[in-house]
Amino acid sequence: MEQSTVKQSAAPILDVRDISVSFGGVKPVRGVSFSIEKNTFTSIIGPNGAGKTSLFNLISGANKIDSGEIYFKGDPIHSIHAYQVAQRGLVRTFQGAKVIRRLTVVENLMMAVQGNPGDNLWGFLNPSARKRFEISTREEAMLRLEQVGLSKFANDFAGILSGGQRKLLDLSRALMTSPSMVLLDEPFAGVNPTLVEKLLEVIADLRKNNEITFLLIEHDLETVMNISERVIVMAEGKIIADGLPNSIYDNELVIDAYLGSRRKGA
Amino acid sequence: MTDLIQYLFNGLVVGSIFAIAAVGISLLYSVLRLVNFAAGDFLTLGAFITYFFSVTIEINFFLAIIISMGAGMAISWFLELVLWRNLRRNKAGTLALFLVATGVALMLRPIIQYVFGTETRKFNVDILKTYDFLGARIAHTQLMVLIFGSLAIMTIALFMSKARIGKDMRAYANNPSLAAVSGVNVDRVVMATWLISGALGSLAGVFQGLVQGQFNNAMGDTLLLSFFAAVVLGTIGDAYGALAGGILLGLFMELSQLAIFFGGVPSNYKPVVAFATLVLVLLFKPEGLFGYRTRKV
Amino acid sequence: MEAFIQPGFWVFVLTMAGIYGIFALGLQIQYGVAGVMNFGHVGMMAISGYTIAVLVIKYEWSFWWAALAGVSAAALGGALLGLATLRLSGDYFAIASIAFAEITRYLILNADGVTGGTQGTLAIPNPKGFGGYTDQVDVILYWIMDRLYPIFGDETSRDMAMLSVVWPFLFLFIWISSRLQKTSWATVLRATREDDDVPASLGKNVFRFRLQALVIGSAFGGIAGVFWAVQFMLLAPEDFLRIVTFYGWMILILAGATKVKGLAIAAIFFGFLYGATRFLDFWPISELSSPERAYLRIFLIGLVLVLLMVKRPQGLFGKREEMVLE
Repeated sequence: MEQSTVKQSAAPILDVRDISVSFGGVKPVRGVSFSIEKNTFTSIIGPNGAGKTSLFNLISGANKIDSGEIYFKGDPIHSIHAYQVAQRGLVRTFQGAKVIRRLTVVENLMMAVQGNPGDNLWGFLNPSARKRFEISTREEAMLRLEQVGLSKFANDFAGILSGGQRKLLDLSRALMTSPSMVLLDEPFAGVNPTLVEKLLEVIADLRKNNEITFLLIEHDLETVMNISERVIVMAEGKIIADGLPNSIYDNELVIDAYLGSRRKGA
Repeated sequence: MTDLIQYLFNGLVVGSIFAIAAVGISLLYSVLRLVNFAAGDFLTLGAFITYFFSVTIEINFFLAIIISMGAGMAISWFLELVLWRNLRRNKAGTLALFLVATGVALMLRPIIQYVFGTETRKFNVDILKTYDFLGARIAHTQLMVLIFGSLAIMTIALFMSKARIGKDMRAYANNPSLAAVSGVNVDRVVMATWLISGALGSLAGVFQGLVQGQFNNAMGDTLLLSFFAAVVLGTIGDAYGALAGGILLGLFMELSQLAIFFGGVPSNYKPVVAFATLVLVLLFKPEGLFGYRTRKV
Repeated sequence: MEAFIQPGFWVFVLTMAGIYGIFALGLQIQYGVAGVMNFGHVGMMAISGYTIAVLVIKYEWSFWWAALAGVSAAALGGALLGLATLRLSGDYFAIASIAFAEITRYLILNADGVTGGTQGTLAIPNPKGFGGYTDQVDVILYWIMDRLYPIFGDETSRDMAMLSVVWPFLFLFIWISSRLQKTSWATVLRATREDDDVPASLGKNVFRFRLQALVIGSAFGGIAGVFWAVQFMLLAPEDFLRIVTFYGWMILILAGATKVKGLAIAAIFFGFLYGATRFLDFWPISELSSPERAYLRIFLIGLVLVLLMVKRPQGLFGKREEMVLE
């Protein structure tokens, strides 16, 4: 197992301070605080219903927090829209790997690129700039599809892809935005082992070549042990443990709340 | 003071008509996710059928009302069998439902016009007879509408809370898949919803015809947006809300004529009060007055 | 049957087809691309037409500036409607858009001093004492008629001149619209028809995109209003009833909501339906009086809408799954 320590550099890229939210009578996130260092790989684990996806929805701006603060690269992002969060370089994938079924695979990717003059109505009046941008975007998209082995589906509707393939597409699409941080929502759940290998390969590649920070949600502890530098454990909307992957196994709270419930659940 | 009583009374009368029409629309929405654009024309149809039986054929007015309610139900039943059921099976989308509802309205109106003609009509009821009540003038027809309207509203409320099919309706509206699993007969619920809305449409049409004194084939359609305003005000899909929304809207429209509101809104701008209510609710409280009831996690 | 071979009938049919084709093109951008169900489109046509009439008749503007103002006012109307209600879900927006058109018509009906009220634009108070607004366009139409006369002789009419103006514009707009639909702007909007969260998670301001589609579509509605105003030379509130929006929807559904190219053909079908119920005089239509014919037209539009949605929701040129998946 790869041993690494939690880096302690100056300013964290993501800083979550005591955030809470409630919907109706339910409080899925209750006073969660943590910060993520640049270019690290952190996993958040916890049983189903621990509030992991709700936490992602809050960080990505899909839902608004009731209290607390979230900072990304030093700027507050808790009161801006989801699309503005994404524009600042914090991009998420979805639990069910949402693809746009009636767009082609390559269109799904091309849609994600930032600063496209064709997104803008003024860009409509400048066809040559639009064309140039489209050609370079298509090249990049094809490259990304090559990387995850989906290039043969480039011109098919994304609706025909299998669940695992959709997750690859979802990740590639997030990467098309040139993000500095990616939130992965259960990227391995329900994916066959070959595709899990593929996903891990892609992530490892990115870790080597790019400067992307990863924050990942997973309910299964073992899957993330090898790739994570740090593991945060959530249960009932709160963080109950936070540390190196190995230390998590020894934590009694975790065994109690998480592993215990897993034994019962499974 | 006399003005206040007069307008309050008028408001209750108009409001009870709105309530009866709105509850049909709201029920249909809650069960079928259908915004019934044809609701207005069902009112017109109800009024004309009642006219035909009570004035042309000269049978008892109340019997004629019951026949027209039956006719409203029959047409709704027919359309459910030949049209809506198929659309549901085909998993028709929102737009399809909108356009078919509109299509039905567009077909119904010419049929009414062709069968009953374009002339304005009035029921064989003395529309000039009035009573004096604390200085306010209360028309005989208004009093009839208020009494029978209140009865109808109470019947609906009782039906929704006590009758088996009423409970099934609400269960199905809240959670269609759960209701279907727990043994609610979906087709029966949908059919019941159509029958109720058909009957209520005719009844509201007769009431509206009574209150207006005379009516033509555009009567119901003119009121359609007011009904939508009542439905949205009382939270779309909430049957009790629609009853309350209808009465409130009726009161707003009549009370807006009081001098304290911008020196009294002229009566020909009454529809604008309904539009404005609709717009304001959509802008500031789109979930309606009773939105907390339906809000889910 | 004679009417069928009269050029005048077909000229009218095609002119109406062209105008309503442009009108439906606006709905096509709004619904076919952006999935926005606008049932108040007729309001845009009314705003545009009446802006022109009032500015030319009452304030003696040049027709051309007035037309520009009319289209801008329609686009602005779309923007206001969108800013107020586009964040609501589809059902609410549909109701709100209908209300918008009804309110517009109601205001026109009751603002007698400005719009002429029930009597229409002829009654707009004005310095000349005559409420016409087409003088400047008529110069051009008569010029065209002079050029057409050698070819068509006595059959030459103002309608024919209109026809030769409207259709090039319809094709121009169809071309622009089909170009627009190849941009990434349209791709993002097509994505929003399925899901709002994905485009938002990729940095796309979904509301802005939808609003733009609504405004562009409304501008097309406004342009249709300009041609409508020129074609009929006077406007009245009852020209802009709710049904007119559904004329547009019928054309759109007939063409297949996402297929821009079928629009012209669907528009001709509508034009025929519209013209036939007006002018044809063979049995059984000959039995009907003019108001009865108007009702027959409405009945047929309703019937076509219902049959289309039940039997062929994808329209004549569309793919079925595109409608069913909604």
